[in-house]
This record gives sequence, C-alpha cells and structure tokens, in this order.
Amino acid sequence: MVLCFMFTWPCVSFYLGWTAVATWKWIANDDNCGICRMPFDGCCPDCKLPGDDCPLVWGQCSHCFHIHCIVKWLNSQQINQLCPMCRQEWKFKE
Amino acid sequence: MPLSKAPEPQLHDQRKSEENNHHKKRRFSGSNQVPPSHHTPASKKSRQDDSSPEMTDSQKRANFSALTSPSNGLNKHASQLVTNKPGTTKKLVIKNFKEKPKLPENYQQQTWLMLKEAVEAIHKKCSIKSSLEELYKAVENMCSHKMSATLYENLKTVCEDHVRDNIHQFLGETMDSGQFLKLMDTCWQAHCEQMIMIRSIFLFLDRTYVLQNSTIASIWDMGLELFRVYIISNTLVQTRTVDGLLMLIERERNGEAVDRLLLKSLLRMLSDLQIYQEAFEVKFLAATDRLYCAEGQKLMHEREVPEYLSHVDKRLNEETERLYHYLDQSTRKSLVTCVEKNLLEHHLTAILQKGLDMLLEQNRIQDLTLMYQLFSRVKDGLKELYVACASYIKKSGKMIVINPDNDPDKDRDMVQSLLDFKDRIDNIVAVCFAKNEKFVNAVKEAFETFINQRQNKPAEFIAKYVDSKLRAGNKEATEEELERLLDKIMVLFRFIHGKDVFEAFYKKDLAKRLLVGKSASVDAEKSMLSKLKQECGGGFTSKLEGMFKDMELSKDIMLAFRQHTSNLDVPGSIDLNVNILTMGYWPTYTPMEVHLPTEMVKYQEIFTKFYLGKHSGRKLQWQSTLGHCVLRATFAGGDKELQVSLFQTLCLLMFNEGHVFSFEEIKQATAIEDGELKRTLQSLACGRARVLIKSPKSKDVDAGDKFKFNNEFKHKLFRIKINQIQMKETQEENVSTTERVFQDRQYQVDAAIVRIMKTRKLLSHNLLITELYNQLKFPVKPSDLKKRIESLIDRDYMMRDKDNPNQYHYVA
Repeated sequence: MVLCFMFTWPCVSFYLGWTAVATWKWIANDDNCGICRMPFDGCCPDCKLPGDDCPLVWGQCSHCFHIHCIVKWLNSQQINQLCPMCRQEWKFKE
Repeated sequence: MPLSKAPEPQLHDQRKSEENNHHKKRRFSGSNQVPPSHHTPASKKSRQDDSSPEMTDSQKRANFSALTSPSNGLNKHASQLVTNKPGTTKKLVIKNFKEKPKLPENYQQQTWLMLKEAVEAIHKKCSIKSSLEELYKAVENMCSHKMSATLYENLKTVCEDHVRDNIHQFLGETMDSGQFLKLMDTCWQAHCEQMIMIRSIFLFLDRTYVLQNSTIASIWDMGLELFRVYIISNTLVQTRTVDGLLMLIERERNGEAVDRLLLKSLLRMLSDLQIYQEAFEVKFLAATDRLYCAEGQKLMHEREVPEYLSHVDKRLNEETERLYHYLDQSTRKSLVTCVEKNLLEHHLTAILQKGLDMLLEQNRIQDLTLMYQLFSRVKDGLKELYVACASYIKKSGKMIVINPDNDPDKDRDMVQSLLDFKDRIDNIVAVCFAKNEKFVNAVKEAFETFINQRQNKPAEFIAKYVDSKLRAGNKEATEEELERLLDKIMVLFRFIHGKDVFEAFYKKDLAKRLLVGKSASVDAEKSMLSKLKQECGGGFTSKLEGMFKDMELSKDIMLAFRQHTSNLDVPGSIDLNVNILTMGYWPTYTPMEVHLPTEMVKYQEIFTKFYLGKHSGRKLQWQSTLGHCVLRATFAGGDKELQVSLFQTLCLLMFNEGHVFSFEEIKQATAIEDGELKRTLQSLACGRARVLIKSPKSKDVDAGDKFKFNNEFKHKLFRIKINQIQMKETQEENVSTTERVFQDRQYQVDAAIVRIMKTRKLLSHNLLITELYNQLKFPVKPSDLKKRIESLIDRDYMMRDKDNPNQYHYVA
C-alpha cells in the first residue's frame, strides 16, 4: 500500500500551460491629467486608444501629463515654458 | 339618297340628281357614247367641274390615256372630243325655276292618318299596312313642309292615349307580386320595343324638329316621360313594383334563387325612367340597413369572431355580386358602406375585444388576414385594430418580462420567449397586415413599452443570452443562423432604454470569453460589435473594441516574449501566456495577492522585466483571479490533463508535497481568501470531477475539513475541465455590475444637470426635471434626480433662489 503511494507520488507532476492575466497602467502621481482632466487610464481627448500612441511624460518638477496635452500647452506659450501645475520652468524628465 | 318615289317631286332635288347623272357619264368619256344631253347647260357646268382640281383620280387617268395611247381605235373619237370641246362656243342658257308644285288640300290629314294607323298598329302589335319606307318618306315630307310641330303633337297624343290605357292591367287586386313584376316587365319591354319602332319611322322628325328645339323631348324621351307619368307615378303601381323588387332581393339574401334577369330588367327600367334613386334606392338602402343592423347584432352574440368575420366577408361578396348582376352602379358606394357600417363599424370594439387576443394567441393567420382586409374598409378600422394589437402585445409581453416571484427558470427563458414572440408578431404583421407601416410602428412602440416595464433585468438577460450564444461549445447554430439570431437580438436591444446596463453585462461576459478563450468565433464577436456600434455609435463600443485590441496586442507581445525567452536559460517548462489588459477598457477586477510556487513567480518576474523594458512608465498588476492552467496529473487509472483555474492549480499543486491537507493548511500555503478558497475546494472535491476527497463528506466546504488526493479518480475523457463554482459569484458580480451602472448614471445625471443649469442660469425645479428626462437616455426616478440636485447644491454647483425655493441658480 505504501509502496503504491510512493509509486504514484508526486501525483500532480507538471504544468503544461499557464495563461495569466495582467493589467497595466501608467506610473503616475495623479489619477487625471492636469491639462485635459481625463484619467491617465484613458487617453488625451485627441486620441482614441490609450497606450504607446498616447504616452505620459514627466517634467523635472515631477508633474505628469499626456504628451499631447503638454506639447500643446508648451506650443501655446510665447516666452517661458512653464509647468502648468507649479509654474516652474518645464523640462522633460529623462 | 332619297328615292324618287316621293309623292311631291322637288325641282331642286331633281336637278341635282340630273347633274349627278352627267357626272357619272363623264367618267366614260373615253368612249364615243356621248349622249346629246351633254350640250345642256348642266353638262357644261359639269365639264367645267371636270377640269377643276376636284377631279377624281380615275377621271384624270381616263383622260390621260385618251390622249396618249394610240393603240385603241376608239380613241380617235375621244381625242377629238376632248380637243374639240374647249373650242366649241356654246351659249349658257339659264332657265327659270319651275313653279313650285302645290300640295293637295287634304295632304296633311291623309298622311297623318296613314302614320296614325301605323302607330296604332304598332301599339296593337299587328302588322302595318303601309311599307316602312313609305311611312318614313311621309314623315320626311311632312317635316319639309313645316308640319313638324303638328306631327309631333299628334304623335304624342296617340302615344299618350295608348300608355294611359295600359295602366288598367296593373290595378288588378288579385295579382301576387311575382306575377305583377313579370307583367310590369312585359309591359315595359313592349313599350320600349314600340317606342323604338315608332322612333325609327319618325326618325326624320326626331333628327330635325326635335334637335332644333331644345325644349322638346326626343321621341324616346317622350315615351319614357309618358310611361313615367301614366304608369309608374301611380302610387299603387310604384309601391307594388318597388316592394316586389325589395321582396325579391330579400329572398335572395336569405339564400333563395331568384330571377336575376327580371330584377335587372326592372331596375334598368327604373333607372331609365330616372326614378331609380327616389323610388327604389332610398327604400332599398333603408331595408338593407334594417336587415344588416339586426343581423349584425344577432350574429355578434351568437358566433365566434372568425365565423362572424367570414360571414361579413360572404355578405360583402354577395352584395358586390348583386351590384354586378342587377343593381345600378350608382348604388355601389352607399350599399357597400351600409353593409360595412352595420356589420363592421358598429361592432369594431366588440370584435376586437371578443376575438383579437384569441386570434393573435393562436396565430390564426388566415382569420387575421381577413380581419385586416375587412377592417381596412371601415373608417378608423385599422386604427382600432393596431391599437388593439398593440395592447395585446403589451399585455402578453408583460407576462413574459415581468417575473414577480423572480423565478430563475422564467428569467432564463425570457429572451428566447421574447424572440419567439417577436417572430410570431412580425410574421403576423408581414403576412396578415400587409406590412402596414402603422402596424409596424405600433408593434415597435408596444415592445418598447413592455420591455421597459421591468427595469434593467431585460437588458441584463439579453446580454447574457448573447453571451450564451457567442460562447464556445454552442454548436447548435451555423454562422448564418447565428448572424440572423444576433440581428433579432439587436431588434430587442433597440427597445431597451437602459442600454448602459446591457453594456456593463455584455462587457463583463465578453471579458470572460476573451480571457478564458471561450469565444466561439472571432467573426461572430466582431459582427456583434459592429452591430452595437451601428446601433449606439462609436462611443458605446470603443471600450469593447479596446478589449479586442488588447487581445491582439497581447498575442504580439507573447510572440516577442517567446523569442526573448528562447535565448535565456529559463528553468522549468511552463508555457506562459499572458493577456495584458488596459485598465480602462475592462471591467474592474479586484487584485488578490496569493502565494505562487517559486517557479511561477520566477516566470512572472521574467515577463514583467521583459514587458516594462518594452513599455516604460507602466506598472503591471497580475490578476490572479483570471489566470488558468492546464495540468498533467497522474492517477492510478492513468494520466489526465486538467483544465483548471489558477486557484485550483495552487490547491492541486500542494498535493505534490503531501498526502492530506486541512483547509487551514491550504489557506496558509496559498493565501487565497476564505470564500474564494471554499469555492475552489468545493469545485475540486464536491463537483462533477472529484480529484480531491474531502472528509467529512458533504456538499459544502467548512473550516476544519480535510482533503486527500483522489488517486482512484476515473473519467472517460483525457482532458477534463473543472469548472469553478459560479453561482454565488455571479450573484455578487451581478450586484456589483448593476451598482457600477448606477454609479455611472449618477455621474451622467450630475453632468446633465450642470450642463442644463449652465445654459439656463435660472430654472424652476419642474422645468429642470423635464429637461433632464429629455436628455437622459436611461430610466430614472424623480426622487433620484432630486437627490442629485441636493448633492450638487451641497457641492456649490448651484443654489436655491432665496425667495422661491423651487428655483435654482447656476453658480459659476
């Protein structure tokens, strides 16, 4: 009897396949984009799908926006390019 | 041409005929038979005529051949004749008219006597002494000598006397109506024949004197007038005739065969006499009205609706036939209306109340078709019909939709019943109601009404029904059938007001299908998606589309990942497949931290590193609740492949290291949350495929239970799918899905309120509510709206008017 057990052990030997599910989201310190007020889980108002077509960017002041939103904002500024949140000079974080 | 037998020859006419004679002779001018009379002035004139352009063709040809062809010896004379004539100088002698011949003294009386004799002979139906031609000529001559007026008057008097005498035969008391009618018919026929004969003789009078005097009736009309005045206008005669006719018709209506020719002839007589309308039609319609009024009331009580309808149809056909056979066409409209009014219009509501539901219920196509046809004849009939149909649909539909006891079986069948019901009604509308637009709209409206009488649930069940059809393993339908089914479901979906509920449940089910790989066909999924998009616009489906996109992206990433791992030295042999979801598209899943075996953790880490290396700035969250595995398990009876969820895997894997584990031990090792673990173990030990043995044995898993690997497990299949226990979970999911929908609706209500207030600045409560109902596409209770308004006031989006608490100001 014991022998038999030993023979059939380990009973569940290996996995053939594993289908896992993961969700991704942007690493951001806020839920919404400070410019368009859309959630970072979505995309900027000009885009249809979130993802690499509508990425987020961080400034050195650590504020985060949709890239389309901040570029639009910076283009509209004549003189100084400031972060719309903290009014510091805007520099893209590398 | 009048023949020359006239007693008084007329000069003018004679000359004319002489001239004509010459004319004829000239045609033979090629021959030498030129009579001496040629030299009369008349012939001269005729010669002149010859050279005129009015010469007939044959004349020209004769002359021409006379001039040219030399072969005929006779032509010599002819050519001589032709050439000589213009040269001869003849004097034109004009004679005076002969003196006008006088008429004999008693000419008028004698002629009239002859004519009168003839007319009387006609009246007495005996042969006429003089020949008809003679008589005709006599009339013509009298007319020519301005005796027309007297002649007409005399004729009228003779006829009048005759007609007046005829009345006596109709005044006899003893006749039954059949005999009477026959007698009348004979008399009338005779009168007509006589009048035709008389008119033929007096045709010249009719065509000259009568035509020239518009006040005088033609001979035929005079005959009719006399008949009308002296026979039919007699009250007794008229009543007897009309009553007789009515009686005959009534007998025919009661199913007896009657002499239709007699009826036709007499009715023609009446209309010829122009008393059809006043003498007959009025009484006839009154009688018809009476008959059908009584019949309608009686039969409505006695008969079932289908029988009644076919009876009405029969009656209408009979009456039409009657019109065709003997009634005057002018009666058509009023007669048909009379029947329709008495048999249908008065009973519309009763018919509909008594029989419509039954007919619709039993799908009696033919009866319904008849009903439609009959009702379309009557004013407002169709309106009543479709209103009644709509109320039937509402009533029956409500029975399907409303489920007071929340009987799950009934709810499960609801969509199928609705589809069947819709099919049946559509078929009826198409076949019986000729696809009448009013009916189509009424059906739509009725469906929309009853389907929304139960909130949210129908939407949910439709979503679930679609899921059941799109899920793999649903092999009962071919692609085309599935496509058609989806179209039908879309029709139902169109009626639903709360489309957001549908979306939420559909999304949840779609997520499940995609993640577990249970979708039956990508084509069907895509086609359903495009239908939804068409129906509700891109905004409605963008998230659903995003889900499909995620699945495709995941496939690409996994391809790249496999290439990546083939270069690495990875322990173990797990075939890892990861679906990476974009948070916003999918239903929210609560992440659950569990203890994975080191091998799996390692794989996860490798993948995470790979993924983040490709997409910077992202975070990956593993959703353990959604994972599933295929395991190879070895039993005494042989190896099996088990398709299980990740949680089930974790539990099963424990038995690689030991034989018996308690509930607590498993819980500690896997860190699966209590309820989830209970369900997982229950599915493994108490389900259909029991790979674990639980002690003590029972249906439910409780703390303290012990589990042992079932080495003796047997199953006829090699690959076994062990389902998670779903029941409880679905209910929780259900509640949370519904809640999420309501949450979303609150935001929509808030947004709508602010939008309206921003444009209006100042608005009364009632107006605001009305505006809101116009804008919001889902059903809401006024009390809920009130709550949202309160909440917005609290949050300083708007404020109440200081003087009037029923008015709101927008706060910028």
